[in-house]
Amino acid sequence: MLDLKYIRNFSIVAHIDHGKSTLADRFLQLTGTVDQRELTEQMLDDMALERARGITIKARAVTMHYEHQGQMYELNLIDTPGHVDFHYEVSRSLACCEGALLLVDAFQGVEAQTVANAYAAMEHNLEILPVVNKIDLTHARTDEVCEEIEQSLGFDAADVLRCSAKSGAGVDQVLAAVIDRIPPPEGDLRERLQAMVFDSHYDEYRGAITYIRVINGSIRKGQKIKFLRTGSVHDVLELGHFRPRRQPSQQLQAGQVGYLICNIKELGHVHIGDTVSTVEDSALPLPGYEEPKRMVYCGLYPSDGENFEELREALQKLAINDPSFEFQPETSDALGFGFRCGFLGLLHMEIIQQRLEQESDVDLVQTAPNVTYEVDTQDGRRLTIHTPQDVPDAGEIEEFRQPVVRVSFVLPGDYIGPVMKLCEDRRGKYVRTEYLSPARAMVVYDLALAEVIYDLYDKLKSATKGFGTMDYELLGYFPADLVRLDILVGGNRVDALSIICDRADADRRGRAVVKKLRKEINRHMFEVALQAAIGSRVIARETISALRKNVTAKCYGGDISRKKKLWAKQREGKKRMKSVGSVDIPQKAFLAVLESGGEK
Amino acid sequence: MKTEPDPLKPAAVVDESPNRSPDFSPHLPPRATYIHVPFCAHRCGYCNFTLVADREDLIPAYLHALETELQLLEQPRPVDTLYIGGGTPTWLDVDSLQQLLQIVLHWFPPRRQAEFTVEANPADVTPPRMALLTEAGVTRLSLGAQSFDPTKLRTLERDHTAGDIQRAVQLVRQHGQQIALDLIFAVPSETQSVWQDDLDRAVRSGASHLSTYGLTYEKGTPFWTRRYKGQLRAAAEEDELAMYLTAIDTLTAAGFEHYEISNFARPGCKSRHNEVYWTGGGYYAAGPGAARLVGNLRQSNHRSTTTYIRRLASGDSPVAEAERLSAEELARERLLFGLRRLEGIDEAQFPQQTGFQIDELAGPAVRHYVDQGLLARQDGRLRLTRQGLVVSDSIWPDLL
Repeated sequence: MLDLKYIRNFSIVAHIDHGKSTLADRFLQLTGTVDQRELTEQMLDDMALERARGITIKARAVTMHYEHQGQMYELNLIDTPGHVDFHYEVSRSLACCEGALLLVDAFQGVEAQTVANAYAAMEHNLEILPVVNKIDLTHARTDEVCEEIEQSLGFDAADVLRCSAKSGAGVDQVLAAVIDRIPPPEGDLRERLQAMVFDSHYDEYRGAITYIRVINGSIRKGQKIKFLRTGSVHDVLELGHFRPRRQPSQQLQAGQVGYLICNIKELGHVHIGDTVSTVEDSALPLPGYEEPKRMVYCGLYPSDGENFEELREALQKLAINDPSFEFQPETSDALGFGFRCGFLGLLHMEIIQQRLEQESDVDLVQTAPNVTYEVDTQDGRRLTIHTPQDVPDAGEIEEFRQPVVRVSFVLPGDYIGPVMKLCEDRRGKYVRTEYLSPARAMVVYDLALAEVIYDLYDKLKSATKGFGTMDYELLGYFPADLVRLDILVGGNRVDALSIICDRADADRRGRAVVKKLRKEINRHMFEVALQAAIGSRVIARETISALRKNVTAKCYGGDISRKKKLWAKQREGKKRMKSVGSVDIPQKAFLAVLESGGEK
Repeated sequence: MKTEPDPLKPAAVVDESPNRSPDFSPHLPPRATYIHVPFCAHRCGYCNFTLVADREDLIPAYLHALETELQLLEQPRPVDTLYIGGGTPTWLDVDSLQQLLQIVLHWFPPRRQAEFTVEANPADVTPPRMALLTEAGVTRLSLGAQSFDPTKLRTLERDHTAGDIQRAVQLVRQHGQQIALDLIFAVPSETQSVWQDDLDRAVRSGASHLSTYGLTYEKGTPFWTRRYKGQLRAAAEEDELAMYLTAIDTLTAAGFEHYEISNFARPGCKSRHNEVYWTGGGYYAAGPGAARLVGNLRQSNHRSTTTYIRRLASGDSPVAEAERLSAEELARERLLFGLRRLEGIDEAQFPQQTGFQIDELAGPAVRHYVDQGLLARQDGRLRLTRQGLVVSDSIWPDLL
């Protein structure tokens, strides 16, 4: 039996690119968990996509052994996703730790996600060790950044650790601080088994691999266990530690972190936040289990209707690996049969789409993303709206609510004006401004999530020359004056082009969308009217004039194969378009509704 | 029209069978030939053809390469139509032109009543050249007139004048050949009246065949670049359309038959050679960039004159691209390119020629365009309507 006082469970939280993965790699190396030869760069990010984007998407865990002052310690590093989309997973990971390293780049300083992550760690009552990384950078401003940390988060600048994960300088002090300053886990070996599921992934050969932190008691190989929330019972076929590859052992005890393999064939059956206990005389479930919230929805349709089943299979495969992604069949007049897909956020949506493209050959049409709305109807029903098509007629709506988020922007003080304008333009509600240091400020606004997902991040980057960062948390659903804006092409409403927007924005959005569509849709042999309408009221109109002349003058022997190739290409392009009435709409046009119409 | 006895006696026995309709199967040995001569005095700003300017030094090597290429035929192939185009075939000096004609006539002896066309630049039509062409049995001169308007000719960077055209026409008529004129419209800053004047003068010139081409801006040409940079302003679509319709109305009123999208002919004076292309016939071809259809094999030679020469000199094939066409592909080509002819396609004959029914190839698309009034089915024929004619390129992709 391992004494709990020789275990430390911790995670590293940081803004993107502040060096979290590099520091984790350095730990693996310093503790001899992997040797230099094995150390592919950024060991913990083992998904190709994560590497490509330089971000961690799924939580990972690793067990390391480290000798400190003559005593061997077991250190469990639980990695957390760095992006707000995966907020729920972050919070589950943090719930398994007693401490966290708050990593801050010595040049970039405190950023929006630094603050958000620090607050999340505080909420979980973790011991937080602020660490300034990259102190060997030429432009490092380590002392200033320590001041920023003190000003913004209230840590004593003198207690801030300093290291360079890249060169290794100061990393052993960081490990020493983990042992000295982070408390050991509390738990009772003699209590009934109680373990938290904080992540899972799918292995093609072994099925679901469940990540757990044992809170009380112990769990042994061959034992029968029960997932308390789902009520399902399983045999433990294998358990062990991640080092960082799976290393089987006989048991896991209170305070330890590791994995379970139970012959579970679908990842959907493992719920993050669930509690594992014994079958008979079970312990109480741990607090904190909730379904991950899908905040963003979009339609995905096969370009070629014949690929519907193929797309379904591809989506199913993805869902097995990622239970936070969901999909349901839906039909669109314009696009035919497809799926309404729910995501944790925009990044999550982008990741799923990329995987679909990489892993299947199905050519996709994507509709513009929308958030989930709530509608109370006159007759007392409460509707959850995932797609503009489901919005009832204006007369039936008692109250229309949208998700509102609290957004924190961290930026150089010079850019406060432009960022406030961005938010005011989006009907943001000002909350506060704080100075992190004389030169850097945090501005907080409450904004409709819909405004945030469209283009706020890009607009923030251009308004602050790339220096501004943002993070947000959901506040809840609030009533707003919302309308469904419909788009008519050649007099026919195109359901896949409808959007929900604030009434005050409808004119601007409508004009922008029809203008954009005018560029995206080719001329036809007849005039094509493009209209934006609320109900039966047309608020914007553009016209695509008829194609009057389109004829190849010269067509002799040498021109035939060239012309044939050109026409074949046009035919292929046309095949991928969607016909509404007799108007061919290219796939790209379905994203035209993202056009915001610029600033007011 | 008179045909001089052939001075260059063909080596093979000439098939004396009567002239065939161009509606023959490509599976038979072709009876048409195109020869490409890639030389020009200079390259005009709108031109993207296969040609070299100011490289007369290459002429001997070209003629040698052409001869080498034709030797691949193994034996002479008698033809009903022979077409020497370019480039500017008449830019060759008299000796070279004579050599060219000898080579071509050896490998492609014209059958009786054959059509033999040579393209010419009006400025090059001189008595010695005309004597040579006449002696070789040329029946038709296709003159790259483009316009009679000095400003327009300057814009197009042509090196001839309206006077040159008139002199050339007169000389050709004296020698008894038919005259075909090419005209270009929708040139920057061209007005409707300039175009009307060109049409009227072309009608009066005595030409029996007229081709009218709207100016196109091809990628890679100086015109394309100048338009891109805003230095050239392309004609408005409405104006171009009006000019095209003016051409149709003026020329048909003057007794020309509008028989293909860009081609007009007096009765009995259609280009039989070009009809072969549009009716799915086979044809031989030689020279840089030249394309042939022999049986179900379509090949194009390399477009670079120097590569063409080099390949043949080192015993390599000049072919750059080749595709073998299925019966269905051949039938579709026959449908598409056949519809460029105003008389359209004989619905009863089509299956006999191709083995496919039109409806089986493109039934829904054809019905759709008939409903839209762009195609018409009448008297057993499928053809473009006047409305369909001007937007025909929007129809073809759906028939492929």
